[in-house]
Amino acid sequence: MDDSMKRLLQRLIRRIPAHMLRTTLDKWGRLSGAQQRSLDFTQPKWVLTEKLLAICEENGWTIKHITELEMTYVIDNPNQGMWHASQLMDPEDDAHSVELTQFKEQFKAHLSELVRPVSVKIKKHTDEAVWIRIAWGDRFSEPNHLKPTYVVHHLQTPYVFVTSLTSKQKPLLSQALVLSTRYQAIKDANLSGRKLTAIRDLLMRHYQQVFPTKYPSPLKEKNQTVSNPHVEKEQAGPAVNRLQMACEAFGDGTLPQLQSAVYKLETKFRDHTNKIMTEREEPFRCVVKFASTNLLESLRHCASTGIASTPVTPLLSSIPLKGKNYFVITDNGPGPSSQMRQPLT
Amino acid sequence: MASNVTRAPLVQRRSRSKSYLQPERSCFGSVSRLNSIPALTPRRLSTSRRAPRFHNITEKVNPEQLALLVKTEWQLSYVTPLHQFRHTQLRSYSRQLSAFIAAEKQQGLAVEVEGPQSGFRVSFSVVQGLVEEEDDAETVLIQIHSKPLFVRQDEPQRPVWSGWLTCINGNQEYLRSLPEDFICLPLFGSSGAEGLTAAVKSWFQQTFDCCFGPLEISHTSLQWLSALWTDCHTECNIQHLKMIWTLPVAPPLQVTYTVNPQDAWELWSSVRKDPQEEKKGEEEMENSIHIEEVMRFIQELKSHFYRHFRLDLSAGSLNQVSTALGSAKYSGRIKISNSRYMITTLTLLTECALLKMPI
Repeated sequence: MDDSMKRLLQRLIRRIPAHMLRTTLDKWGRLSGAQQRSLDFTQPKWVLTEKLLAICEENGWTIKHITELEMTYVIDNPNQGMWHASQLMDPEDDAHSVELTQFKEQFKAHLSELVRPVSVKIKKHTDEAVWIRIAWGDRFSEPNHLKPTYVVHHLQTPYVFVTSLTSKQKPLLSQALVLSTRYQAIKDANLSGRKLTAIRDLLMRHYQQVFPTKYPSPLKEKNQTVSNPHVEKEQAGPAVNRLQMACEAFGDGTLPQLQSAVYKLETKFRDHTNKIMTEREEPFRCVVKFASTNLLESLRHCASTGIASTPVTPLLSSIPLKGKNYFVITDNGPGPSSQMRQPLT
Repeated sequence: MASNVTRAPLVQRRSRSKSYLQPERSCFGSVSRLNSIPALTPRRLSTSRRAPRFHNITEKVNPEQLALLVKTEWQLSYVTPLHQFRHTQLRSYSRQLSAFIAAEKQQGLAVEVEGPQSGFRVSFSVVQGLVEEEDDAETVLIQIHSKPLFVRQDEPQRPVWSGWLTCINGNQEYLRSLPEDFICLPLFGSSGAEGLTAAVKSWFQQTFDCCFGPLEISHTSLQWLSALWTDCHTECNIQHLKMIWTLPVAPPLQVTYTVNPQDAWELWSSVRKDPQEEKKGEEEMENSIHIEEVMRFIQELKSHFYRHFRLDLSAGSLNQVSTALGSAKYSGRIKISNSRYMITTLTLLTECALLKMPI
């Protein structure tokens, strides 16, 4: 067993948290019953690593097997690293009928034409998502398995999520994706975050949305606080309205856990009390970043408590509406997103 | 006599040092040394201050000492006047503090140090040239050197803790009113292990009959720093004006508002050039900045934000302000990145410290 494989396995075991090691190995399913029983998961990791290296020799595993184990772990724990969303544009006529086998073949073929050598592994996950692991090589070196790129694509949708991709690799991946999915172009969706599940749910609207109604809100006030009955009576109406509008903008119940949103503002300074600034031709340049453990919930709370005026400004409601968390705002409306630019986080 | 009786409980309540229980160092003893009532410190921050001037500080202060002060983040505290502190006794203080720390260590003070043989070496030094006013005492710098863990025997000791005491442009009336035996160095900054900071404070409290307390950088002070630092942009590129607010929602929302330096400066100067302000003499306007201008500047920034997000930042609290000249946090942490305007920053902080004096 060569050094690079050894290093890969060591790195992988180090990366997988101790409490998840057993389940991950089970899911992977390549250990025999006896081998599995021989592993004592209460021992320190380096002991387990040694044992696994021995089993590796015994079973004659190759890099392929180790990368398979890594993929199993990543698919089950996707909320790590930084994921960036992209959107495929302008489908060809047969884009919607592309199915898994065709996609797999085409993608591997196109990418191998563009990059040689390259190691591609494609796996369909249970929820219609296709996972791709790419180890990049070049004229002078073998595929680097220590820095793989992961791509998730939901067939029948134009959405693609990518992590660990360098700017050199980006055009190659884009080309391969476009050709194999039968679209004409791919662009940056200006949405990124640490939790794949969150950005996926946001983009594909997998959360409880609330629609405007003309009738008294069916949403009940949560967390009733005890207070002066007169104040309560007076505030009840506006409070319910605020809550309704907050939920319309951001959704109800549990929201996808987005961590941040960045707005690059390039608008003119408009304040009639300040003549000098209002007469200025140039925009007032600033960058605003909102950050929270769950950004959408924070914003919804801002709206329902009145810290943010309702109806919620389109700048903020664009986050769930457009599924983006990077915006460039100019006086002509939100600026066109650049096709090549990596979003700030 | 009446003054002694009313003063004593106040001082006693503030101090936690055991020295106050000992008859030789009793609060009555120290207070009786105050022959006259010192002037009361002002009850609020000045409403106007001099515009930052470029001080040729690199020519007046030893560059090595200056290098120790900049680019480190300091935790601030205020200190009450020190009784019988002498700038001529610094060597003796160095030895005393070394011994004190060694003694504390034997009692179980947890500090990283290599073995019982290597002790701490403390050095007190004066940073000359920082002060301009006659009544300001010279700044004192304290460094504690030790051998860090896992290092060879012949390796030299390295500084593991630094601190300083200063008074820059302090309120002259107050300073002059203090009795001769007292030196006022109200601003204390420290950087290093908490245990060592506590030991240093403890030694000062015992030796000079003083009290330490935490110094927050209030919302108003943070606004002052935003304006003062922005004012420097024409002479020294501030690179950005960054403000961080926290909004009290669940989960808490942090808003980082970073403004282009040129645009920030133009907004600031438009606030200063307001036709209403022209009533003041030209020269006066150039040299002094009024709190109203500062507040208007911040308000304009908040309004621009509101116009876009319809979110009122006043509902939250301003926690941090930073530019290329430095950064300041509400929790009392300050970093001065450029020595050119540090006098202005230290003047503001000295004033904040003096405001916290219990008497």
